[in-house]
Amino acid sequence: MARKKSLRFGDFIQAMSVDSHKIPYIELMPEPLFDRHGNEFPQPIPKIKMGGGEIIKLLQPYISTRFMDQARAVVPLAAYLGLFQYLVLKTPVIDASIIAGGLLAVMVGLMMFMEGLKLGLMPFGEVIGNNLPRKLHLSGVLFIAFLLGIGVTFAEPAIGALQVAGSIVDPEKAPYLFTLLNDKSGSTVLLVGLGVGLAAVLGTVRFLRGWSLKPLIFMSLTPTLILSIIAFFDPELNKIVGLAWDCGAVTTGPVTVPLVLALGIGVASAAGKGADSSLSGFGIVTLASIFPILGVLLLSFYTAYTVPPEVIIARAAEIKAAAELASNQPEWYQLTPWSEVILGVRAIVPLVIFLGFVLFVVLRERIKEASIMNYGIFLAVAGMCVFNIGLTYGLAKLGDQSGGLIAGAFSSVEAISASPLYSLSVGIGIAGLFAWVLGLGATLAEPALNALGMTVQNLTNGAFKKSMLMGAVSIGVATGIMLGVLKLIFDFHILYILLPGYALGLFLTVLSTEEFVNVGWDSAGVTTGPVTVPLVLAMGLGFGNALGSTEGFGILAAASICPIVAVLSLGLYVQFKVKREERLTALNMNQTEDISGRV
Amino acid sequence: MKRQLTTLTDATLITAVVQSGYGEIVTDALLEVGIQGASVHSAMGIGIRERLGALGVAVDAERDIVTVIVSSDEVDRLFERVYLAAKLDTPGMGFMYATPLVQAATYVPPSILKRFEN
Repeated sequence: MARKKSLRFGDFIQAMSVDSHKIPYIELMPEPLFDRHGNEFPQPIPKIKMGGGEIIKLLQPYISTRFMDQARAVVPLAAYLGLFQYLVLKTPVIDASIIAGGLLAVMVGLMMFMEGLKLGLMPFGEVIGNNLPRKLHLSGVLFIAFLLGIGVTFAEPAIGALQVAGSIVDPEKAPYLFTLLNDKSGSTVLLVGLGVGLAAVLGTVRFLRGWSLKPLIFMSLTPTLILSIIAFFDPELNKIVGLAWDCGAVTTGPVTVPLVLALGIGVASAAGKGADSSLSGFGIVTLASIFPILGVLLLSFYTAYTVPPEVIIARAAEIKAAAELASNQPEWYQLTPWSEVILGVRAIVPLVIFLGFVLFVVLRERIKEASIMNYGIFLAVAGMCVFNIGLTYGLAKLGDQSGGLIAGAFSSVEAISASPLYSLSVGIGIAGLFAWVLGLGATLAEPALNALGMTVQNLTNGAFKKSMLMGAVSIGVATGIMLGVLKLIFDFHILYILLPGYALGLFLTVLSTEEFVNVGWDSAGVTTGPVTVPLVLAMGLGFGNALGSTEGFGILAAASICPIVAVLSLGLYVQFKVKREERLTALNMNQTEDISGRV
Repeated sequence: MKRQLTTLTDATLITAVVQSGYGEIVTDALLEVGIQGASVHSAMGIGIRERLGALGVAVDAERDIVTVIVSSDEVDRLFERVYLAAKLDTPGMGFMYATPLVQAATYVPPSILKRFEN
């Protein structure tokens, strides 16, 4: 078996492909330095100087891998929307260059923001999570977790999409919806934040006490569903329900999940629990997507109780008049780059100040590599500003446009002169299919889903494969978005989807084991990232406006419940299969024993 | 029946400290040339980041350490393959070395053992 060694293959290849050199290591080491007594003293550490070529070589992989991460999520979706519009709706993309620039800003902004999050904000979260429970009493820790929940909500990139969406709502048709998204948008986000904060507290306590998630789901969903039903019977408030349930999907994004989890896991491991249980990371996401719904519903009830709709309509008209007056001479802070920059700074800086306060004043800790962290914070703020610009000019514009045009497949819209392009049934079929494929693609591209899939595969020892989970969640989201679009076409209330959906979800929850309940309910929050949310929101609103329906919210809400049902039912099937196999092997073993016994 | 132990001779350990995320790229490149398996560990690196100043942000402190055992005859070829796969010809990307091993052992299937019986 020995190979012939006349010419080593390695030598041959090496001579062919690389230009190799040899240097003795000692040549690279500095001369040791000694003082008078013969003791060695430390070498000065020289800074490395690099030429232009080397700097490019250093930065190129750093930037390109991070940019590609974002491009993989954005480009296929944008291409799909653009091509669909061109080929099926026979309308070229309007303002294509502005949208392309906006999408580029989305990718660059997200790239910077994610890197900034990793370098600037996550170290805070980890240090606080590890040290806080040791230095403070539990109630203090929970209070900080609560405040953190509020802070991260404001820093979530997708939350800006709500404000953008608010500008499309017609105050005449849905006054309360308009006021919640415009002059009361601060309160809305605050209540969403309160919900996330409450979820952070409950989730942390759950880690510590080892509570089951099932009763928590029941206890939080029941009042939420009841309030939704009460709102449904109020002629004004029933337009709020879609928005409220959408808020749940908006909150659980790339800032909230890791920061809140870092704190929760830190608390659990300081108590000597949770670190060994792979389930400890779950549950918070679920609660953080249910409580904000409750918060927004309560706010809308309060608003309805205190402010009559006529006042809102009058105020909206005032705002509009003021805006028209101002549009002749807009203030500098209302102009494009500055308004987005202000939004970006307002989102991140309070969170950083809060984290810094906890770290330096409450904990008296220091951060190693402060310069890298400052760079991270700068990147996060800059990234958020760039992302906000991209959100307005890229995602929201594109989603609004496709949503408005897709209606032209089956009804007449102004933008397409030949509309309706297809007969009613074919057109509706096309719109449904379009939404379904959009949901499938957007979800499969979400990196968080991949991570969740790996966790689940490990949790179930491979019985629940990663591809199965990804398939179930994607098909769930796709079906949800399709249902949401059908809701707009046939103009029925979102509650007709949510109530049976959540009832089925709760029923499956009773049957499922704790693991699958955790994974299934969390899968909904994981799927809605900063690219999907604005795009789907804007698409729904554009679509709703083109059809003349009162509000275009609710698509995200429908896209949240469907994956839950899909994952839970698949989980039950996997459980059933595993049990059956166990029974079969047990049966076979018995049989072989019988046979061997006879022989 | 006696249990069997088969030792491999002429083995060399290649260890590569690469940027986090490159561990998988390196192991993929190794699996392509018929290596049976490799290990990837997560680690933190120090050194170059502090000395690069502002450019240090481009260097990730998180590292993957890939260890793989190769035949001593193929060290140069595989060393080069790992070097190129991990883009070690770029500043700040990592470091690698090869160590001769006295002996190594693992499970060798009987079908392969049979080939060496004569």
